[in-house]
Amino acid sequence: MVGMKDAVSGIQETFGDKIQRVELVRDIPVLSIAKTDLPAVALHIHSAPSLQGTLSLQWAADLRPRLAAYRIYYLFTLDGGAWLILQTDLQGDDRLFPSITPRIQAAKWYEREIRDLFGLVAAGHPDLRRLVRHEHWPKGTHPLKKDFPWNYIMGRQDGEYRFRHIEGEGVFEVPVGPIHAGIIEPGHFRFSVAGEPIMMLEVRHFWKHRGIEKLFENFGLMEGVPLAEKVSGDTAFGHSLCYGQAVESLLGMEIPLRARYLRSLFLELERLHNHIGDVGAICNDAAYSVALAHCGRMKERIMQLNDALTGSRFLRGLNRVGGLSMDLSEDQLNTVVLQINAVEQDFAELSRIIFNNASLTDRLETTGILKERTARDHGVMGVVGRASDIDRDIRRDRPFAAYDRLRFKVPLYRYGDVRARMRVRIDEVGESIDLIRQVRAAMTPGPVTVPVVAAATPGDWALSAVEGWRGEILYFVMAGDDGKIHRCKVRDPSFVIWPAIQFAVLGNIIPDFPLINKSFNLSYAGTDL
Amino acid sequence: MIESVLITVVQMIVALLASPFIVGLIRKVKAHLQCRQGPGWLQPYYDLAKLFRKDVVVSTHTSWIFTATPYILFSSTLTAVLLVPIFLSKVPLNFAGDIITVVYLLALGTFFLMLAGLDAGSAFGGMGSSREAIVASLTEPAMILSIFAVGLTAGSTNLSTIVHKTALLQGIVTDPPPHLMALAALFIVTLAETGRVPVDNPATHLELTMIHEAMILEYSGRYLALIEWASALKLLLFLTLISNVFAPWGIATERTPVWMAFGVAVWLVKVSGLAVLIGLIESMFAKLRLFRVTDFLGLAFILSLLAIIFFYILRG
Repeated sequence: MVGMKDAVSGIQETFGDKIQRVELVRDIPVLSIAKTDLPAVALHIHSAPSLQGTLSLQWAADLRPRLAAYRIYYLFTLDGGAWLILQTDLQGDDRLFPSITPRIQAAKWYEREIRDLFGLVAAGHPDLRRLVRHEHWPKGTHPLKKDFPWNYIMGRQDGEYRFRHIEGEGVFEVPVGPIHAGIIEPGHFRFSVAGEPIMMLEVRHFWKHRGIEKLFENFGLMEGVPLAEKVSGDTAFGHSLCYGQAVESLLGMEIPLRARYLRSLFLELERLHNHIGDVGAICNDAAYSVALAHCGRMKERIMQLNDALTGSRFLRGLNRVGGLSMDLSEDQLNTVVLQINAVEQDFAELSRIIFNNASLTDRLETTGILKERTARDHGVMGVVGRASDIDRDIRRDRPFAAYDRLRFKVPLYRYGDVRARMRVRIDEVGESIDLIRQVRAAMTPGPVTVPVVAAATPGDWALSAVEGWRGEILYFVMAGDDGKIHRCKVRDPSFVIWPAIQFAVLGNIIPDFPLINKSFNLSYAGTDL
Repeated sequence: MIESVLITVVQMIVALLASPFIVGLIRKVKAHLQCRQGPGWLQPYYDLAKLFRKDVVVSTHTSWIFTATPYILFSSTLTAVLLVPIFLSKVPLNFAGDIITVVYLLALGTFFLMLAGLDAGSAFGGMGSSREAIVASLTEPAMILSIFAVGLTAGSTNLSTIVHKTALLQGIVTDPPPHLMALAALFIVTLAETGRVPVDNPATHLELTMIHEAMILEYSGRYLALIEWASALKLLLFLTLISNVFAPWGIATERTPVWMAFGVAVWLVKVSGLAVLIGLIESMFAKLRLFRVTDFLGLAFILSLLAIIFFYILRG
């Protein structure tokens, strides 16, 4: 545990004048640093025993037309959950910034992403292949630069992505995807195998770039919610909530208590139906299809409840900047409790069956172990993190919605295998149901929305975090002129966890990969914005 | 002579018609345990009819093996079915081959299927073939030994003789322990050879986990129909072996129409019961890890070997 003030003064003592400026933006300390000093400071925050900062997000913003500069931000989550941001400016025509990837693993995809979308090159990055922009994108197309029109129609060029190869007798490569036999999002997996055991996996995603972050820049601050809902379809509420919170904090809005409770309730409903669905899907990938059928039934029950309450099975169209678009009546709240109580009993029975099945346990245990060290190095959190002993949960560490008034346990397992990830989900189902009951008991009448009065200063920004069912969702929203969005950085937890899966499969056999992948159940769309 | 041909033709028709039913029955049982209704009883027949009507897509990288395999597989499996007593204890074709012929007719089909899996050069086909090779090489000895254990009591490797003698209890000293061990071994072999849980999962869409399905991923249209039908026939063959080698009672021992009709009914009940059992197993167990499959099949081999050893011990 480290206090924010101590952390900042400690860093200032260590680096003296190198810290050019310290300011507080909505209680988050922001340290401005010259780009040449940045790797040293970042490494200090990452490795000093008193700080142990995890790089949670790294992103860039094109500050034109107000400033002829690009700014790169580094968000660190310190031990205990406090946030700290480093920022550095690249003035004028400067396109180079020093890479921190050689010392901080978690930066490896972020820096490649920044290069692809802004044309800013992380000097010293060990792997500068394209990530988001596939090779057929023409040279020099960096869509998040302000001089790149949002509706620009690109040409096509030839190019080849160079996979890493392992050579040797009996080593083969198995390419899987991006088109699969089942209904799955597009993703390519390149295995290097010797017989059945996996020696290396390279994940190649980003097949369907939708330009979401660019589209946000066409919208006013008030209009972004429907787009945020589309980032990852199964997390519509989590994403729209996170976007809404960012704008609300930018405009300094106080959300009424009833709306905060309802947001917690809907977020837990979303967690419930996804977790229950995942438990079934994990069992099904071990050919235990009975669990899938029953979990599917319970998931459907909750989704129909969503539909009956809100008119949307995926809880779309609920969030808005300033609260919620609808209230629930007493009757509806009673129905929710009635339904989830039934699901609780049903699910408890099923989890007993699952735990008592030796053949299933044999498949899940010791399969796809993500070591705690690897998880920490990649900044992994959420369900996957908690199964690998990473004790992070935004709901507890930086309470939002009504979580400061609710009590819940954060399940934690050490093993990091498929079974641990399933158990985190099973435990969280129980916690979610309990949370919903607490919400029901604590809710008081009142408004569910506040009107927007203030306007945002151009260049001002806010950062918000939501513990979605997969893990930490982060939104960075910077206001532009005329109430428009200048820059919106979207971070689904999947973006962080995908690189870690490449390590979790090592030493496992190929037929176990689908099971491991399902236990992570990451979003492809949430990664591929 | 004509009678023999007629009986053979009837046996062929019965097997061809009953095999999709068994596949559908297993699906029904599984659906029922999942609180689903499941597809109708005629669905497997509709599926075959649909596939026969569809066009065939063949990769340009394939050789004649790819197009010949469905026919080889289908005809070898069907021939094997004709050597196994279904409703009449002495099949007309019993002179043509014994249990070893049956095993190698099935192996012939499997062999070509493995070649076809490699033929198209896709990553999944190769994986399926290599896995099938492991499974097939381990099931073969277990299967032969388990039937030998019963054949020893009947004094013959000819399936018709075994079934006939057992049905009439002629000169058979039934020792329950070896019989039960051999039965267990043959049942494990059945699960492995026909690609059922816990060895393979016939319902999966995950290419990386497949064994049998991975080999036939490239097939479509009538080729796929022939392969699917052959798989159904193979399943039926194994269930028939289990029921008629170990408990043939009710089978027709003489060629009278009434008795043979009765034999068909009894046989249908027996194989349906076994199909329900397979459906239950598929609902109760997860699939084994690939490398545990060898232990599982090793168990079948040991059981059948013990059955033979016990036979000699008990006979003194």
